[in-house]
Amino acid sequence: MGDHQKIVVMACKHSAGEALRELQREGWALPDGVEWVELPCGGSLDELHILRAFEAGAAAVLVLACYHGACRSLDGSRWAEKRVQAIQEMLAEIGIEQDRLEFRNIAPTMPADLASWVEALHRRVLAPAGE
Amino acid sequence: MIVAERKPLSEIIAKVEGYNRLLIVGCNTCVAVCQAGGEKEVAMLAAALRLRFRDRQPAMEIIERSVERQCEEEFNQVLAEDIAHAEAVLSMACGVGVQTLVEQFPDAIVLPAVNTKFMGRPEERGVWSERCIGCGNCVLDKFGGICPITRCAKSLLNGPCGGSENGRCEVDPENLECAWQLIYDRLARLGQLDRLLEIEPPKDWSTARYGGPRKIVRKDMVL
Amino acid sequence: MKSGSKLERILASGAFAVTAELGPPKGPDVSVVMRKMELLRGVCDAINVTDNQTAIVRLSSAATCALLHQNGLEPVMQMTCRDRNRLAIQSDIFGAVALGIRNLLCLTGDHQVFGNHPTAKNVYDLDSIQLIQMVARMRDESVTAGGDPVEGEVPLFIGGAANPFGDPFEMRVIRLAKKVAAGVDFIQTQCIFDLPRFREWMKRVVDQGLHEKVYILAGVMPLKSVGAARYINRNVPGFSVPNSIIKRMRAAGKGKKAREEGIKICAEMIQELREIEGVRGVHIMAVEWEEAIRPIVERAGLLPRPSLED
Repeated sequence: MGDHQKIVVMACKHSAGEALRELQREGWALPDGVEWVELPCGGSLDELHILRAFEAGAAAVLVLACYHGACRSLDGSRWAEKRVQAIQEMLAEIGIEQDRLEFRNIAPTMPADLASWVEALHRRVLAPAGE
Repeated sequence: MIVAERKPLSEIIAKVEGYNRLLIVGCNTCVAVCQAGGEKEVAMLAAALRLRFRDRQPAMEIIERSVERQCEEEFNQVLAEDIAHAEAVLSMACGVGVQTLVEQFPDAIVLPAVNTKFMGRPEERGVWSERCIGCGNCVLDKFGGICPITRCAKSLLNGPCGGSENGRCEVDPENLECAWQLIYDRLARLGQLDRLLEIEPPKDWSTARYGGPRKIVRKDMVL
Repeated sequence: MKSGSKLERILASGAFAVTAELGPPKGPDVSVVMRKMELLRGVCDAINVTDNQTAIVRLSSAATCALLHQNGLEPVMQMTCRDRNRLAIQSDIFGAVALGIRNLLCLTGDHQVFGNHPTAKNVYDLDSIQLIQMVARMRDESVTAGGDPVEGEVPLFIGGAANPFGDPFEMRVIRLAKKVAAGVDFIQTQCIFDLPRFREWMKRVVDQGLHEKVYILAGVMPLKSVGAARYINRNVPGFSVPNSIIKRMRAAGKGKKAREEGIKICAEMIQELREIEGVRGVHIMAVEWEEAIRPIVERAGLLPRPSLED
């Protein structure tokens, strides 16, 4: 792995984006090393972007999209999940642990969950490599 | 169109492991449409291989290219320099494209990255199925426009075997329709059921691959 | 007489014919053939020998038939289109005739995905109807499929299969009519459990007068257990065991009692089939249970078998 380890969060702006802004209003900030990429919809997630993130040195990628019934583009979050599964299969063949790529459904009303997922992932993949 | 599917990554990885300068060439025609070997798939494969060999020193060099139609030499001329530079070429075109590169660049090592499956069409998003085996003597007019040679698991020409049930083929009921149910329904619709009584004689397979590799020479197009 | 085979003579005499099936061993163990053969001696008029049935490799049908013939029994050689092209089929038929075989059942053959060599390449150069037509021309016009004259006679009684239970139902009588037009002499049907559907099929056969052009032998199969019935319903496409029979098998219990009930149901089925217009005999398929055939035939009142010793 590269020297500058990071986590990339690819997040639908309607759900995860709203939740993040709520957290920020409360004074919470993304931990160091977590890069937030906001998507107009889970459906705009591109498999290639996930691979590129790993290529650029990400230790983990977290994809956040709306609950499947709540997607404003109908099936965007389902496509996002399908694409994550496809890349997980590729990662397994490449020799990268599949749990380095996570998919979660989220609603704008779930800021606390968002904070705990990001912090847990941060502890799991970045903290042990620290000092 | 020709429908293909990317080989398992593990198989591709094993094929390219020994090289350090790799050229991946996609094809923007059939295999791009069936999302097996177009520009996007080239980028995905390149990214996956870079990740796989990320610890290698010096780093594996992977060049990404795509041509319009890999089965025609004219479109591949732009590749000459990259092919000369690469230790191996990973072609994401169908078997025809792979062999065109081999014939055109006889010194290059060209490896196939996809499995060429069949001539078929997309039935719905993400689903492709076979329609023609290229037998060389089309008989679609006799069977209501449905090819029993391709679509019947036994290529039966005189009606269904005993394994047709509820319109499905016993060989794979979940995925395969019984071609003869389709033919029956279609002929019924066209009012041509009497055709089913005609005995179709043994097929002349010499026009199919069984007669040896095939070639067409158009006299009006050759000087 | 087209072949002079015992089966042909019995059917021509108007007697109700009985044929049974013998599955060859999964290797060249002749003792298996000898044992099964003796179970069938005197209880049927001819014995079908399967040809790599369900695409499982076994002792060849031709060799097994020759063994039966040498031991004074009447074989029906099954020939499928799955494993041979038209050259091999004709050559094997010449061989069979040379060895004294006089009955040939022409089949398309089960697809190899069901057997023990699912990665094999299949042939299907011909289908069963084309095969029937080819054999009829070899016999009647003395020409091969390629048009060359045949050296010698090909006196074969030509059989075919019919499945009254497959779909589309309307195609099932059409298929029979095509087989008749192709030159078939006798038909053995798929195992019958669903009598109403079989009656409906036979009615259409009789309406078209096909029963006067071809001898129809109705297929039956004894059930060993209620599990066997359920297995058929789940796994064998094209036919199903009705609930009434499943109930009887369940009520009979297990082991010997179940087997006895299976034999009884089979014998009753034969008696019912005998009453249907156009049915000229029965074909008993007791898969790997050849012991059941004598009691079935006996209980159905079909013993002793007619002798044609004149």
